Amino acid sequence: MLKMVRQQMICIIATRWSDVSMDFSDTGDVYLALKALFEDVEVVQFASIALLPARADSPDQLPSLMLELAIEEGIDPRDMLYRLVNHPSRAMWSLYRSYAPDGGPDIESSRNEHLLEKLMERLSIAEGGFVGARDRTARQIQKEKELLDWTRNEARALKATKQYGADRASFALALARRAFQDPQFEWAFEPAPRSYWRGSGASISAKVGYVLVVFCLWLTVVWPVSALLGGLIRVCAWLFEVLRSAVQPAIDAIYWVLCASIRGAIALIVLGLLWWLFLIALPALSARWRHWLDGIYRELERPTQTQSSSRTYVLCWIFGVPLVLALLACALVFTIWPGVILSTFFAQKVLVATGLLAIFALICVAVDRSDRPAKGSGSDPHEDDVPRAQQVHQSIDSCEALLAEERVAHMVSLTDIRNPNGWSAWWIRVSLGIVTLFGRVFFTGGRLGDAPGIHFGHWHIIEGGRRYLFCSNYDGNFGGYLDDFINGATAGTTLAWRWTTLLPRKSAVFGQPEVKEPRSFPPTRFAIFRGVKCEMKFKSYARDSMLPHVYRFEARKATLDQIDLATALRDALFGERNDKNDDLIMRAIES
Amino acid sequence: MKVPTSKPDALPPGVRRFLYFVFCWLNRNIIVLRGIGAVLRLFPYVGGWFGVAARASAVRGVMTRPQSFSNTAHAPNLASGEYLIGMDPGPTYAADKQLLDERLDALKPTLPASADQEARRLVADLKNQGTKPFDLIEDYLMWIVFRAMDPLFGSATDRMAAGAHGNVKDSGLQRQYLMEIRYVAGQLLAGSSATLRVQRRAELCADALRARISGVSNDIQQAWKVPASPDLERNAVGLAWISHPVTVQSGALVVQELLRRPEVHKALRDEAAKLGDKVWQCGNFRNSVRNHVLELMRFRPIFPLLARDVPRDTEFQTGARRNAPCPGGGKMTVLSIAAMFDPQAIPDSKQFCPSRDWGKQEDLRWLMFGYGTRQCPARVYAVEILTSALIGLLILPELQLTDRESKAITYDGALMSDMSVRFTEQAGKDSHA
Repeated sequence: MLKMVRQQMICIIATRWSDVSMDFSDTGDVYLALKALFEDVEVVQFASIALLPARADSPDQLPSLMLELAIEEGIDPRDMLYRLVNHPSRAMWSLYRSYAPDGGPDIESSRNEHLLEKLMERLSIAEGGFVGARDRTARQIQKEKELLDWTRNEARALKATKQYGADRASFALALARRAFQDPQFEWAFEPAPRSYWRGSGASISAKVGYVLVVFCLWLTVVWPVSALLGGLIRVCAWLFEVLRSAVQPAIDAIYWVLCASIRGAIALIVLGLLWWLFLIALPALSARWRHWLDGIYRELERPTQTQSSSRTYVLCWIFGVPLVLALLACALVFTIWPGVILSTFFAQKVLVATGLLAIFALICVAVDRSDRPAKGSGSDPHEDDVPRAQQVHQSIDSCEALLAEERVAHMVSLTDIRNPNGWSAWWIRVSLGIVTLFGRVFFTGGRLGDAPGIHFGHWHIIEGGRRYLFCSNYDGNFGGYLDDFINGATAGTTLAWRWTTLLPRKSAVFGQPEVKEPRSFPPTRFAIFRGVKCEMKFKSYARDSMLPHVYRFEARKATLDQIDLATALRDALFGERNDKNDDLIMRAIES
Repeated sequence: MKVPTSKPDALPPGVRRFLYFVFCWLNRNIIVLRGIGAVLRLFPYVGGWFGVAARASAVRGVMTRPQSFSNTAHAPNLASGEYLIGMDPGPTYAADKQLLDERLDALKPTLPASADQEARRLVADLKNQGTKPFDLIEDYLMWIVFRAMDPLFGSATDRMAAGAHGNVKDSGLQRQYLMEIRYVAGQLLAGSSATLRVQRRAELCADALRARISGVSNDIQQAWKVPASPDLERNAVGLAWISHPVTVQSGALVVQELLRRPEVHKALRDEAAKLGDKVWQCGNFRNSVRNHVLELMRFRPIFPLLARDVPRDTEFQTGARRNAPCPGGGKMTVLSIAAMFDPQAIPDSKQFCPSRDWGKQEDLRWLMFGYGTRQCPARVYAVEILTSALIGLLILPELQLTDRESKAITYDGALMSDMSVRFTEQAGKDSHA
């Protein structure tokens, strides 16, 4: 399921790119050829090209050419590239021709095959991502937009007749009738398609039901298999006169798997109930508890280093972390050795281990100085240490200005992964897996957390786990976009960025931004708190990591709200006549 | 032209993949489907509960009522847009059918000579292979069917395969075209259970095919000698993807079944060896091989089951005492493989018997191509082409799969994508000698 999301957002990172003088301007051959290619193929929703500067330790300092493709759901990247490479326009060949200075093989099919293999080697599938306008193809978006425009025009014409006055229901019915009778909208008779998590699986009960069904299926597989194997072992023991004690361990092992599955499920349910009780039910019932929790959350998120925030952080380490770890350990012990958990001896062990953990945490916090300003630095712990004269590179400004009017905004950010790379990359992958899963299953309405306007946002780990690439296609402007993330998807954004840093690098080509001084991501608390809440520092960090695009393609220039409105109008016009649908039609034509 | 748009997966994660796995597994292990068919023939009312026709009489009954059991069940799987196979009878259907019949008539004067000619050419090449493995589909069957079907598009064939701007001598471009149409046809074979990846690949290839046909529509128009119209392109697209891949897959299935029957293979090879150079001219031998092809296809049909839409409430005769009700708006399944092994209709149905006297049941012999008015109109030509291909294989040194069947044959879902074969060591040495 997650792979399908990840495969929607791919990048081709052509390393050691020597053809830096290639003309990507609107009048150039490459621009026109790529535009024609993507328009013809119709499944590429967004595409962009950017030059990624080389790492400081790269011997030849040649940049990499990144081609970002945001495509429709379910397409395998190889199939996509196969289609692009073999397209009769030969646009991909014109883009990557520098890979074969001698012109490549004479025969077109061999040349395409050769290029496809090269591109597959350089393919990077997103480690995680989020798609806002889910379940909609570029063609569908276009058709629904035409329907929206048509409806607005018809509504104007209908209003001019003054037949309906203030009767909204009759007016909506008349519009629906007209739409229904128009053969050009035959396609809309069918409701807008929805994938499982946006359709029949959208409710919480369906999601819980899905997990339950999967668990029951697991049990129905384990149960007969264990019974069969147990029976088989017993029969063999009887036939070959093997002592029962000799085969008993095998029978016990099978039985144990079955019981451990059930105990594991019970442990998960209990943990879930505890979470619900302390973080949902109690805050709802008790204002004092709610304020107390809000206070802790506020202090952990506080961007500056105040006494109260430091105190909360330390207390969380000393009490919160050991308690949570003890609970998880109990759940694990209950799943694996259920008999042990009831013994007094085990309870004593847990208490001792929790105490030791708390002492250890206290020592760690006392020793840890990473969160304190360096002596003599002169910076105030109550303020963000951001250079106030933060300047955005001119090339980034130009790109944003180009997309400012009626186009979907776009950003490319390139950072380095903190040392040790493997460890950080592993955590990033886990974090992005969680973000992608939540985006796929829970945030199905086009908002990631509370952050709206993301069409396609994706993260890649590139260059053997040393660098981190983030591309996003979003509505609005960069400042607003980051604000949405800072306030709407704090934990997810912090998780996705916290293992990154920004090392000095030269510009990819003349006129593009460079990084002169190393920068680091704002400090976090417990991996998910603070981080992006250090707003100025995070914005400046994100700005410094940004790169301009040299090419941009958008299949449809519509905001997510417009796309959602057009889809809703389609369902309302051709659906059942009721107040909700009538109201939606009227809102669509009035907005 | 109505073009289907991509749809997201409305099934819970994992379900489609599981269903597709079961479907493909059943297709590959056809014996299991035959077993299920036998049970449903024995208890036809059980088939009735699930809307499955299994007995020969039931299948005949359903297939001769195209208004009640509609072919539109295929329509969602036609990735490249509307075509005959997924239409209900009407003016468009009649016009398309007439055009198709005209195109198929072009095959009459050239078959089987053109198929024989290409088979002979490839046989001559393959004879020098020694014991080196080769892919029976991509190195043999694909090209025989391609060349034999040349008259369908006449002078436009090469241009169509190479694309509007491609070099017609570039065999890689032809191969690309043949892969493209294979994946479009694959969606028809895989049906609605296909995973999203298979569906999307078919749609991508269908888009490419439409663009290709559009680019060479003038050539096709000249070859077909008809005025330009959107219907021309639609029919050309449909004819391109449905004719070639299905025949190639059938050919691969025929060879797979033949290699499982070494005694039959040996007998045919001996007969061919006796004829020597006259093998291509001997009418009796050709008849015998044709009968074998049909019998092998009976054991391994390309469409072992077919779906039908039920536009209005009706019922069908299962063979049980009561008819099975079919609610309107639903679907039902025709288990044609069960009907082809119905002992009540076909004597000694379990026996492999190419020379069986079918008597009054001759129509059932072609059941793998459908039945009644919606039976495949190109069935005779397809069998002729496969007969030529099989004769070619019979005069080659003895063939065998390069490994166990599960390893030598590569599947791409329900499709067979590679069939790695080689000549037996002795045969290889003999051919070199």
